[in-house]
Amino acid sequence: MPAETASVSANAVSSHPTQGVATRPATTMPLPGNARAFRVTVISLLGLCVLAPILLIFYQSFLDGPFFTPASKLSLEAYRYILTDAMFYDALWNTVIMAAGMVIIAVPLGAGLAFLLTRTDVRFRKTLEVVVLVPMFISAIVLAFGYTVSVGPSGFITMLSRHIFGAAPWTLYSLTGIVIVTGLAHVPHVYLYVAAAMRNLPSDLEEAARSVGAPIWRVFLDVTMPMVLPALIFATALNLLVGFEMFGVPYVLGDPSGIVVLTTYVYKLTTLFGVPTYQLMAVVVVLLVLLTLPLVWYQRRLLRHGRRYAALGGKGPRTQVMRLGRTGQIIALSFVGLWLLVSVMLPIGGIVLRAFVDAWGQGVNPLEHLTVKHFGNLIEVPSLFRGIVNTVILSVVGGAAAVAIYLVIGLAGHRNQGFSNTLLDYMVLLPRAMPSLIVGLAFFWLFLFVPLLVPLRATLISLFAAYVIVGLSYGLRLLQGTLIQIGPDLEEAARTTGASIGQTWRDVVIPIVRPGLVGAWALIMIVFLRDYATGIYLMSAGTEVIGSLMVAQLQSGAMDTIAALAFVSILLTGVGLGLAFRLGAKIHD
Amino acid sequence: MTELIVQNVHKYLGGLHILKGASFTASRGSIVSLLGASGSGKTTLLRCVAGLEQPENGVIKIGGKAVLDGEKRMTVAPENRNIGLVFQSYALWPHRTVAENVAYGLRLRGVNKADTEKRVLDTLGNIGLGHLAERYPDQLSGGQQQRVAICRALVYQPKVLLMDEPLSNLDAKLREEARYWIRKLVLDLEICAVLVTHDQAEALAASDNILLLRDGAVAQEGAPQEIYDRPKSFFAADFLGANNVASGRISRNASGTRIQGDGWSLDGVVLGEGEDGDGKAVIRVEQVAVHGQPGPGRIEMRLEACLFLGDRWEYRLAWGAFRAKAFGTRPLASGQVWAEIPRQSVWLFPEAA
Repeated sequence: MPAETASVSANAVSSHPTQGVATRPATTMPLPGNARAFRVTVISLLGLCVLAPILLIFYQSFLDGPFFTPASKLSLEAYRYILTDAMFYDALWNTVIMAAGMVIIAVPLGAGLAFLLTRTDVRFRKTLEVVVLVPMFISAIVLAFGYTVSVGPSGFITMLSRHIFGAAPWTLYSLTGIVIVTGLAHVPHVYLYVAAAMRNLPSDLEEAARSVGAPIWRVFLDVTMPMVLPALIFATALNLLVGFEMFGVPYVLGDPSGIVVLTTYVYKLTTLFGVPTYQLMAVVVVLLVLLTLPLVWYQRRLLRHGRRYAALGGKGPRTQVMRLGRTGQIIALSFVGLWLLVSVMLPIGGIVLRAFVDAWGQGVNPLEHLTVKHFGNLIEVPSLFRGIVNTVILSVVGGAAAVAIYLVIGLAGHRNQGFSNTLLDYMVLLPRAMPSLIVGLAFFWLFLFVPLLVPLRATLISLFAAYVIVGLSYGLRLLQGTLIQIGPDLEEAARTTGASIGQTWRDVVIPIVRPGLVGAWALIMIVFLRDYATGIYLMSAGTEVIGSLMVAQLQSGAMDTIAALAFVSILLTGVGLGLAFRLGAKIHD
Repeated sequence: MTELIVQNVHKYLGGLHILKGASFTASRGSIVSLLGASGSGKTTLLRCVAGLEQPENGVIKIGGKAVLDGEKRMTVAPENRNIGLVFQSYALWPHRTVAENVAYGLRLRGVNKADTEKRVLDTLGNIGLGHLAERYPDQLSGGQQQRVAICRALVYQPKVLLMDEPLSNLDAKLREEARYWIRKLVLDLEICAVLVTHDQAEALAASDNILLLRDGAVAQEGAPQEIYDRPKSFFAADFLGANNVASGRISRNASGTRIQGDGWSLDGVVLGEGEDGDGKAVIRVEQVAVHGQPGPGRIEMRLEACLFLGDRWEYRLAWGAFRAKAFGTRPLASGQVWAEIPRQSVWLFPEAA
């Protein structure tokens, strides 16, 4: 056997050929008791859960009918249809504009916000650090609806503006409207990454720039920004990805005026022809994944680089903040305040008001028409009531179960090396390439036609399975982040004392990461709480959740009910967020 | 009684050959030290014995039972090797009290509650930590943590106690106490112990046998005195002790061996192997005596400086191109002095051809 096959420890140091290699035995003995069987089983099962939906969609795209009808044959007809459909190109173009526009708005604002909150003495810093994250935790559908009721064609602000100025010079239901709303909503995503990088910067470099006479804005542009460039690039890639997969905002704001993006185009195809046109939907998804896959791959590369970078940061150098001065404070606070006003107060305020009034318009003071009757519906209509209960169950119980599953997967990859670990990395990232709407669709198909799963389709299990895959990459990153903090010595000490790897995990690893698990549970809870897209196709009597109910109600235009649902969703998110902070969750992504 | 046998262990990492056939044995009531600079493979060798690293080849037997056999592709997991390992960082579990840390090994071995409690308290009591049993590790000092770590590794009476730089995180004074204390413990309890260290004083003071490692191979093995007084190679001579090293030409004649440099020459004994020619001389600093007057066998040198070190004086000597350090009990005036260097203390190592 050639000596080269010996290098099983693949991802070790770049193997320079030396004389030593020649005498090396043919194979490396595996480490005994390293839970190989467990790791292989878990990674294979995960592979099955991740690949099954993707492969099903891929297969479906090459058929001329639904995959479950025997008459369906292999064909490229669906590709021909989509690639010659003018609406597809329209959607593709709009998607690119939306993603790019979102990046153009979110990246500079997020970076500026990060600079203000980490490198300067801007006032109310502690409060702002929490408040600026809020848009991240609110469901996009709630946010979009919030804009509709406040600045939409018949929104409160629009009416007020018409009343006072005689006109309202904006159109929310336009591509520009969509770009601005999504851009502002994703500022926190950029802020988080850039702020993390900025906190690790030693302040003497900035102080040096100031000492040679640079004003603060020049320091920001010439010194701080170039040094956090990797974080900026990462945030850009992430936002492009999010932009390609965004569904809620373009659906709510684009649908009324016929603006489609790829995700809403897929959704429209469902109803376009009376019969399910699965093959056409599958083709769009395949094309969309071809767009997002390179971004996911690039993100993985950046992330590995980023980990090295974070490790270098270690304790974090002492940072001295820059003094803004009086004028600086006013400018900075107005900037932050304006952004908060537009991206938090406007939509949330709109929803809160809309949920409690039943009449408004030109010359009507909504405050004179306060009511709680919209909430009556939520209790009386069984499907709505079930939706709220289901959402809470899925978030609280499902979130805990998901964390348990992520923990098992995390342990399977913990201190694991070689091929199976690389495989795990990709399995975890793959679902990221698919919008959650599509993950939900794929799981719907699986639960519709895999014999064992069929009885579970109308239960929360089907929804939970899809949620676990949607939250996989975020959840696993949370858990791996806590697992990696345990010194290897602590685990090795248990092994040499006589504990098997299973006992080591039970008695040492899990007790030490317990606080991290609780924090992860709170964050996963919010992720499940705000989700609206995964459950759209999986919705049936018994599997309603707030988010998918809102999407369904939009079609029937039941604005009162939507407002009440949105209000409940915000309330639940607020509770979840409060819990997360109390439990000391570390927020990222 | 020999409890540990290590034969011809080879370990590779990527393309690097980290252990090149290390072998040694260890018996009860004695300490074997693995001594070497960083990168010499001493910790890797210890981890191979513990089963935390997997060597590509070799044989390791613990208590007469093979735990690794490269030929048969047989290997035993760390938890089944019946060893105790003390980590450099101590690796005490932060979520458990001292007593729980120590009790874990007994719990895993199915010892009942009452016995466990008794043995834990006995072991802790033996080393004077009985009163700290209910504390958490972060409430202990470094020295206390280190003793708890040793307790934890000893309480279930493993066949072999492995210690990876157990003293390196202690301050200098504590270290001297601890090496005495560890040696006493090993002798009293008749433990078979292996100690990894980069500190030669620790190895010399604490062990019965020293393995001097270099680049993953054993450079020399022997009792502390033997390895200090009769090094077999320039590396071994230079690694241990405080030394004067000079380069010159080695030549042999009827009366003995000499090394000659620019303006100086010394009689010596050849310890290394090789032909006459270029080579090096190693003279332990303490073997050079400096006098104010000439005498038989004394060499005239120039005293360039005299430094006060507290408990003694350090002299800086020059003789042609030869430079040397020596110690004495009194200050000397710069200028002419006479040095005495016994022939037996001038160790000559011809350069390998």
